[in-house]
Amino acid sequence: MRLLLIEDNPRLAGLIRDGLHGQGFAVDWCHTIADAETALQVNTYDLLLLDLGLPDGDGLEMLRRIRRRKDTTPILVLTARSGLDDRVYGLDAGADDYLVKPFQLPELAARCRALMRRPGAALGTILTFGNVMLDTAQRSIAIGTHRVEAPPREVALLEQLLRRSGNVVAKAALENSLYAMDAEVTPNALEAVVSRLRRRLAAANADVTIRTVHGVGYCLLAPVAAAQVADA
Amino acid sequence: MPDRAGTGPSLLRQITRRLLVFTLIFALVDIVIVVVTYLHHPEALAQELLSLEADRAGGFADPAAARRPESRNWSARIIRPATPADAMLIDWTRRDRIDGGYRITGVRRLENSASPRWILIRFDAIGVKPFLPVMMNELADHVALPLVPLSLLLLLFNIISVRRTLAPLRRAEDEVDALDPDDMSLRLTVPGEPREADTLVRAVNRALTRLEKSVITLRDFTANAAHELRTPLAIMQLSLEKLPDGATKAELQSDTDQMTRLVGQMLDLAQADALVVDDLTLVDLAAVGRAVVGLLAPKSFAGGRELTFSDNGGASVNGHAEAIFRIYRNLIDNALAHAPGHTDIIVAAGPGPQISVRDFGPGIGAADQAHLFERFWRRDRSGGDGAGLGLGIVKQLVDAHGGSIVIESPGGGGTLFRVHFPAAPTANGTGPGAVARPPI
Repeated sequence: MRLLLIEDNPRLAGLIRDGLHGQGFAVDWCHTIADAETALQVNTYDLLLLDLGLPDGDGLEMLRRIRRRKDTTPILVLTARSGLDDRVYGLDAGADDYLVKPFQLPELAARCRALMRRPGAALGTILTFGNVMLDTAQRSIAIGTHRVEAPPREVALLEQLLRRSGNVVAKAALENSLYAMDAEVTPNALEAVVSRLRRRLAAANADVTIRTVHGVGYCLLAPVAAAQVADA
Repeated sequence: MPDRAGTGPSLLRQITRRLLVFTLIFALVDIVIVVVTYLHHPEALAQELLSLEADRAGGFADPAAARRPESRNWSARIIRPATPADAMLIDWTRRDRIDGGYRITGVRRLENSASPRWILIRFDAIGVKPFLPVMMNELADHVALPLVPLSLLLLLFNIISVRRTLAPLRRAEDEVDALDPDDMSLRLTVPGEPREADTLVRAVNRALTRLEKSVITLRDFTANAAHELRTPLAIMQLSLEKLPDGATKAELQSDTDQMTRLVGQMLDLAQADALVVDDLTLVDLAAVGRAVVGLLAPKSFAGGRELTFSDNGGASVNGHAEAIFRIYRNLIDNALAHAPGHTDIIVAAGPGPQISVRDFGPGIGAADQAHLFERFWRRDRSGGDGAGLGLGIVKQLVDAHGGSIVIESPGGGGTLFRVHFPAAPTANGTGPGAVARPPI
């Protein structure tokens, strides 16, 4: 997994490069837009980390140029800008994600991984969270070392939750991905699937839990967070 | 409401007073001139006095009855011409010096009868007193008659003129009262005339431009300073992650988190101050609420507390989605920080154009409620990691939407923050703003 980091502060760039290197990424670093354009012509990257305020121009301009030439390489914007409209401008200009400085390295690494496993970025991916693993191509679930059989709808639900693990996935989004457009979806259909999957995960000793966020959707929680909830 | 009464006399009053004083001085000078003139021409005085006496006596059937008791040697007689040639009688006056005064004799034609008549009249005028009525007459004719109407006209003209002249100042006063520190682009309307008002208004406008510049500089400075702090903070964060685990690292991490939060809030506040909400974008309050609760639920669950959202028929309002997102987020963050662990937080949109965040904490006393939205205010300055900016940001963002925020103490304890937004106007009455508000 090769990343191009475009950041003008050498100290910050060094820290990001070292940190991501420790997480298994190969990172090339450019400190100007001109250098980055040259690097993009020479190499192919799986992900671009782009700072917006650069010595020879605005990162957003470079972002638009990349998208204009139909380059779909995932781009994560790293910026100090958090204005009311900055995020929208960044995403409108073609960024796939937006991370405001300062950030913690695990957060950055997680966002990088999430972008690389996006549909389109890779076809068959193994999604893992806690001791749960899901092969998106084989449609198979493994918990620890044991393979767990589940109906397609539960696999699809787990895939959606795993893709946004640790985050809340809206009910409407889950219903859209689980049921065909013309299918009759009863209000409780999704809840029934969720509770069946919950029981299946618990029976197989999974260390992640599916939490209900009332009025919003569902969330797959990591082992630590789940343990804290259990303490409560 | 500003105090517009003002102190000191109005310009109109000042001018009126000065005009009256001026008129009085003018009248006095006039009187002196009249008196001095007649004292230098005693024969003219005698003529006038005789005319006066003749007029008076002519009014009686028997002129002799008009005799003044105090007058010496007073006599009057009507002369009727016997022949037309006698009608050639002319008015004459004669003044003879006597002891202590004058003997005045003369003939006057009487104007108030059909046939021509003359009156021969004679009397002694001793001292000044007999001449006083003449003087009074002369003063009335030459001083009061021209001065009084002229003064009244001048006064009237002044009232109209001053009102008109001061109209631009009145308008400028209204416009100055309407100036708003949140909209520093406002300027006074330049009147053009009178030049004095014009130059004053222009000077005020120049001062406003300088003020706007310094306010913007100040605002930008806060935003720029906070912005520039982010890269060093990112370096600090990533550097400290390389430290070996331990108490020092945990403390440093906590300090860095606090500073990150503060910098973020300072930027948020600067942006909230500059926010202008256009009335073109409709924002679905329920959709934004769902997104915020979805974002914060994992953090809330990690703290062992339930965070729920309920859509009670939340309307769409004219607003800025990201700003409304931050209103929700700051209110929920505030509830997470101030309600004790493991108590629930209930977020709701609706009914209608309102949102609410309710916690089950200790509640907020009336004394604290007054300070709640002040910037950098904290109930307990020693504890907590907040800077006291979160609710200030909420207030600013709500104000920018033209909304209002109320703090309620619902039954069952805790605090409920309720934000009302103006209902979105709808062209056809069936738009999202027309959501009926059910009785609560």
